[in-house]
Amino acid sequence: MNSQKWSVRFFTVADYEEEEIWLRERHKNGWKLVKTFPPCFYVFESCAPEDVVYRLDYKNNTENRDYFQLFQDYGWECFNRYLGWLYFRKPVSETDTEQDAEIFSDDVSRMDMVDHIIKTRLLPLVIIFFCCVLPNLIRCINESDPLADFLTIAFALLFLLYLYIVLYCGLKLHKLRKKYNKRS
Amino acid sequence: MDHKIRRIYVPMTESGFYILYCLQQPQHGYGICQQVKQMTGGELVISAGTMYGTLSKMEKDGLIAFVREDEKRKLYQVTSLGTEILNLELHRIERLYKNSRGENVNE
Repeated sequence: MNSQKWSVRFFTVADYEEEEIWLRERHKNGWKLVKTFPPCFYVFESCAPEDVVYRLDYKNNTENRDYFQLFQDYGWECFNRYLGWLYFRKPVSETDTEQDAEIFSDDVSRMDMVDHIIKTRLLPLVIIFFCCVLPNLIRCINESDPLADFLTIAFALLFLLYLYIVLYCGLKLHKLRKKYNKRS
Repeated sequence: MDHKIRRIYVPMTESGFYILYCLQQPQHGYGICQQVKQMTGGELVISAGTMYGTLSKMEKDGLIAFVREDEKRKLYQVTSLGTEILNLELHRIERLYKNSRGENVNE
């Protein structure tokens, strides 16, 4: 059996382009991705080094049999599903044109994917932030028993984490959208 | 015709146009890709995600419809609404072509 290796890496909904490049590099170095586990674990298996293109599509579990059949017809191997993402790969040797190595051939469809991410991932985060994290933090700050102090710290940390993720993903998705929009 | 549909699809993307054009005959996604590749001398390759997304949207908007299944692949064909949109788009492209060659369009 081939040897396996675990890696830890944080991946937000806005980092899919970097993820594709990283996985391609790993495959070139003889490690192919087998599976990912939330929140940040990757299982790799040793393999012959090869130039293989990796592509991620976000379908948020709306994919069906026809979707997989079509990608299979195009020569894509779907090997992993992770929190709404689908991981595809195809050896470069099996592509004859640059577009053969892409899952999207125009920027309109790339923008559609970003919009899908914003609607189903970023928006719920923003809603939780304003309707749950922020009101609870304010309520805890205004109370004065010892338990409230502890909760204040917990909610303050949660507040910072949420703020960071929402800002980071929001800005990055906005930038990606702008990049695609400019080209199309 | 619904104004909203018209606003979305006229003018349409290059991929959208070729997909609708090919679907005058029943065809499946990968078949359309092959046909477009051949028609355009390999200049236009419609990728899997773009193909799937466009077919899903056009089916939802009633421009194309599922006809039958062939070896686990769904075959689609244009509907009367799809034909109407295609004709509008063909008319627009002909105008562009004529004007680009310095000809005027006679009403």
